[in-house]
This record gives sequence, C-alpha cells and structure tokens, in this order.
Amino acid sequence: MLGFLTARQAGLDDPLRLRRAESTRRVLGLKLNPDRDVDRVHGNGVNTIDIDAIEGKHMLSGGADGVIVIYDLENFSGKPQYTCKAVCTVGRSSRYVHKFSVETVQWYPYDTGMFISSSFDKTMKVWDTETLKPAEVFEFEGNVYSHHLSPIARKHSLIAVGTQNPKIQLCDLKSGSRIHVLHGHRGEILSVRWSPRYEHILATASADSKVKVWDVRRASGCLFTLDQHNGDKSKASSEAVNTAHNGRVNGLCFTGDGLYLLTTGTDDRMRLWNSATGENTLVNYGKVCNESRKRLQFTVSHGCSPEFVFVPCGSSVAVYALHSGELVTMLRGHYNNVDCCEFHPDYQELYSGGKDCNILAWVPVLRASDVEEETSRENKGAAGQSSVNPAFQDAWSSDED
Amino acid sequence: MNRKRALISDAFKVKKRRNGPEQFGADADGDGPTDIRSTLEYLMTLFPRKLFNDALPQIVLKHQLYSIHHDKTLVDKEVNKLRERGELLMFQLGFDAEAFGLVFALDYKTKVLAGEEGKVTRAAVEKFLEKAVSSCTDLSFSKDKMLTEFLFTDSEITQLVKSGVLTVRDAGSWWLSIPNSGKFTKYFIQGRKAVLGMVKKSKYSEILKADIEERRTTSQVKFHMKYHIHDIVGAELVESIPTTSGTLLRFVDS
Repeated sequence: MLGFLTARQAGLDDPLRLRRAESTRRVLGLKLNPDRDVDRVHGNGVNTIDIDAIEGKHMLSGGADGVIVIYDLENFSGKPQYTCKAVCTVGRSSRYVHKFSVETVQWYPYDTGMFISSSFDKTMKVWDTETLKPAEVFEFEGNVYSHHLSPIARKHSLIAVGTQNPKIQLCDLKSGSRIHVLHGHRGEILSVRWSPRYEHILATASADSKVKVWDVRRASGCLFTLDQHNGDKSKASSEAVNTAHNGRVNGLCFTGDGLYLLTTGTDDRMRLWNSATGENTLVNYGKVCNESRKRLQFTVSHGCSPEFVFVPCGSSVAVYALHSGELVTMLRGHYNNVDCCEFHPDYQELYSGGKDCNILAWVPVLRASDVEEETSRENKGAAGQSSVNPAFQDAWSSDED
Repeated sequence: MNRKRALISDAFKVKKRRNGPEQFGADADGDGPTDIRSTLEYLMTLFPRKLFNDALPQIVLKHQLYSIHHDKTLVDKEVNKLRERGELLMFQLGFDAEAFGLVFALDYKTKVLAGEEGKVTRAAVEKFLEKAVSSCTDLSFSKDKMLTEFLFTDSEITQLVKSGVLTVRDAGSWWLSIPNSGKFTKYFIQGRKAVLGMVKKSKYSEILKADIEERRTTSQVKFHMKYHIHDIVGAELVESIPTTSGTLLRFVDS
C-alpha cells in the first residue's frame, strides 16, 4: 500500500490507480461490523433494496408484506456506532400500499424525489417521496417480477417491465403511455436491465432459458440472443440451442462500465458475457447455488481492480472475482435465505437483505486502533468513551503541592 | 510478457494462501501448459483398465480436473487448447449435461481400431477416425455435415452407429461416443451414488478424505476410490474444507 502512495506522490502513477488499489483493499476486507446496523422495520422478508445513485445517502427497501422503507445511510453522529434509521415508510396502514409483496424498488435516477415500485399485486406505482402517495399507477395482467428505469437516459424515460406475460412492456414515465411492447420471449420475464453505457440497450432474462438484448429504437426483434455455447451447436442437446442457461434465467447485472453482462440461472451457473457481441467469455465460476423462483438481485463492485461480483447464495453472499472466476470469500451472517444485495460505490459497503427480515451492512474492516492510543485515552477520560477535545478537559488537580 | 508495473490484484493476494494439506498438484497455480497434461495422466492411472478387459480407452471426466486445480477457467482454457491440438478428445457422456469425458486421441484410436478387428464395419470406422475425428473438435455431428463435408453415405453412417462410434442424439444428428462405454457409465453412476451415500451416512454428513479412502468399498464401487472422490469434489456434490486434520468432505444438500 505504501508503494502505491509513494508512486502517487512522486507522480509515477495515475491518481486513479491509488484510488482503485484502496477500493480493492477495502472490498477484500468486508466484514460484518458490530457498529453498523440497519433499523429493522420489515416484518417479513426483504425482497429488494436500492441505493440512490446521486448522493448514496438514502436506501429504499421493499418487503414481502408490501411495505416500503426509506433509510438514511449517512453517519453524521461522530461516533463509530451507528444505526441506519428508517426515515419514512409506506406501511400496511397507508391507503396506497401494495397489496402483495413488493418485488422491485428503484429510485428515480436523478434525484430522490421519486421512486418506483412494482409488486405481485400486478401494479407498478410511481411514488412521490415527499407525500408518499403514488403519482401514477400502471396495471398489468400478471405478477410484475422486475422493472428497471435506465440510469443514464436523457432522451427517453422508459421503464422496462417484466411480468408473467412473455411480452416486455415499456412504460413511458413522462406521458404514462405503454404502447411499446417487445416480443420474442416464450416464458415469463424474470429480470430486465438497461445498459449503463448506452441508453437504448436493454437486456431481458426469461424463464424460457433465454436472454435477449434489445435496442428499443428498432421496430424489428431483438439484437441478439445470448448463446452459452457461442454458436457451437454440437455441444448441447438440440433443445438447448441458443439458450443462456440450462434452466430459468433469473438474474441480470451489467458491470459498471456496461461492457460485460452477468447472468445467473437455476442450473446453478453464472455466466459472463461480452455485452457488445453477446459472446460467452467462458469464465467458470463453479456452482453458484440458485433456487430462486423470482428475480435474484446481485451486484458488481465499482471502482476496484479486479472487480468483484456479490451473489446471494443460500443464506450467505458469495464474492467472486469477476474475470478469473475464483471464489474470494463467503459472507455469512444472515439467518435465512438472502434475496438481494447492493453495493455502495462511495464507501465500498455492501448491504444485503433476506428472508430473516434483516438488512445487514458489510463494512470494510478499519485499522484496529493501536494499544498506545487506547491507554492514553483511559488515562485522560474520567468515564469511558468521551470524545471531548483534550483542550476542553479540566486539568485542575486537587493535589495541594 | 514483462510487466513494468505490478497488477493491483497482485498487491492484495485475492485469496489467502493456506498451508493446507499438500495434495498432488494442489498448489500448482498454472505452472505451464504441461501441468494439465500431467494431471490428466495421473487421473488416467486411476481408471481401472482390467474391469473392462482393456477394451475401453482410459476416460477421465473434465470436472475431476477442477478438484485438483482450483482455477476452473484456466483448466477449461488448457483443455480446449489440448483439444485444438488434436491430442485430447471430449465426449458428451449422456447422464449429465455438464459431464464431459476426456480421452487421449491416440488411446481412443488404438482401442477403437483394436475393437474393430475382423468386423464388417471396420472400413467405415477407419475412414471416420481419419476424416472426422482428426479434423474437427465437435462433440456431435449433424446429418448434412456428415453427408456434405465428410462425404459419408447413409449406409456408412448406419455402420458407424452400429459399431458404437456414433450415438443417436435426435433425428438427424449424432453424438461422438466411445464404443462399449455403456458399462462404464453404469458402473460410474453406481459407484458415485455409493460413495455419496457413504459421505451422507457419516456422522454430520462429513468425513475426512483420508478416512474415506481407507474405508472398505462395497461391491457397488468398482472404480478406485480416489477416482470417485475427484469426481464428487470436482462436480461440487461435496464441499472440500481444509482442516487441521486434513481435507474434510461435507455433503452438500441441494
């Protein structure tokens, strides 16, 4: 680490390199911290979480009971012990609450004044954060598994919605219209994701084992379908031609730069694809346990080298190195299945939520304070942990000398 | 390639190096292309030739390599390199979509031709081995490919299927296969089930690797115990945990 610092100081290295090195070091040290807690508000499992992209200050979570909670993640108290408080909730008592479980929540990408949630009660609601009332409600014919609003779009404000219906609906946020439909899949759409690199590219994953990549400006079908054998038709049985997985595909995630796409499927495999050509990079992650019947929310780190993938695997979160496929570590801490996880890019923290109604915060292990510092603090302070400036401390002694 | 600057990932060892139990090749971290080859040769020695009266070439499963070398992507790349050079052949064994069998090309050719001695189908098989197997690395062949590219006739294809070199995949396409490998598949699945049962029945469904190798095998297990252990570890049917008393195998409930 000192090598990186001196190289940066001397100008031998780009400043970005030091930043990446420190981010990587922090991600490798992720652990459950007894000091950091998230308020436990959900009475039922946590299905989805989202951290707002602009400030990274607020986190949304959607639960299996239809409750949506907003937490404040920033720690301004000055003490290391901090509980992320719930700022406001859309609870069961609210008139507009979802009737069944909330499957996906997402902040409006440009500010936290609005967020969108979709649920198994076949609706998608666009909420005003100030009043916690839905500004718009979209109704569908089947359970809504997943929706996504493009994080970089300037020319359109389309929300892609994946439901039980094999047709992907694109709803326009500005006008409220939903005439744009994408045809091509044959099974329910379990996950949809916009590319973080090009605002018109959309990837969709379906229960028919296929993943399709679309350009929404094109009237004809999809751009390409991901094929796990890269066109080598001889490798699999003939029904498995042109499939991304040998089972339902239930998780999609683009890497931060949008160049690669990760997919997970119920065949217990995770695959890394080149998002421009649709080629399977054949990175072998081994067995990534996956039994989810719905969407699996997993995430990729941002700003590290090498990048890491955090995948919920049973009751723990597995951390893999993105391009080499090796398992770095398993983060254990949940009491039941983990359903979702989200990475906070500024602080290199991971938040994961699961069926045990907890959201756990995995924080990089800070340097443990030296023994010297502790004893000096004991000598000065009268009662335990006082963070009073020594200049304000009473130096008066009662000893008559 | 000579790097002037180290990679960031090298500065922080992504995986802690454990001074775990030394296994054959366990600490080999991609020492070179020959390493996979020597691992393959070691695994081939575990294959029981006598059981099949020397009629079958030595078969190793691709996931057995994963239990020895920990970087799966590297293993895949090396195996593909060997296949492209024509030294190794890969077969779809049929009982699992992900279980691929690996055989050295020379072994395969000698055994198949030896098996064809004095049979009617010999000429077709020879032609097939020369043309199709040597030139292309596919696992399966479709009808038009056989007719147009390799110029086989329908009757020749029937002879190939009869001899066991091709197995039916679906209407109009065939898998490349090893003749008389049905017995192998049967004993293999039997043995795998028995070994997994042994692990499952142990207290807490876990057993030290050294212990299970010592155990007396039932008549169901016809292969060498180590062959089965590499198989179940590589296929991730059991978890391999390093402990102070050696490697522990714990049954994975899926």
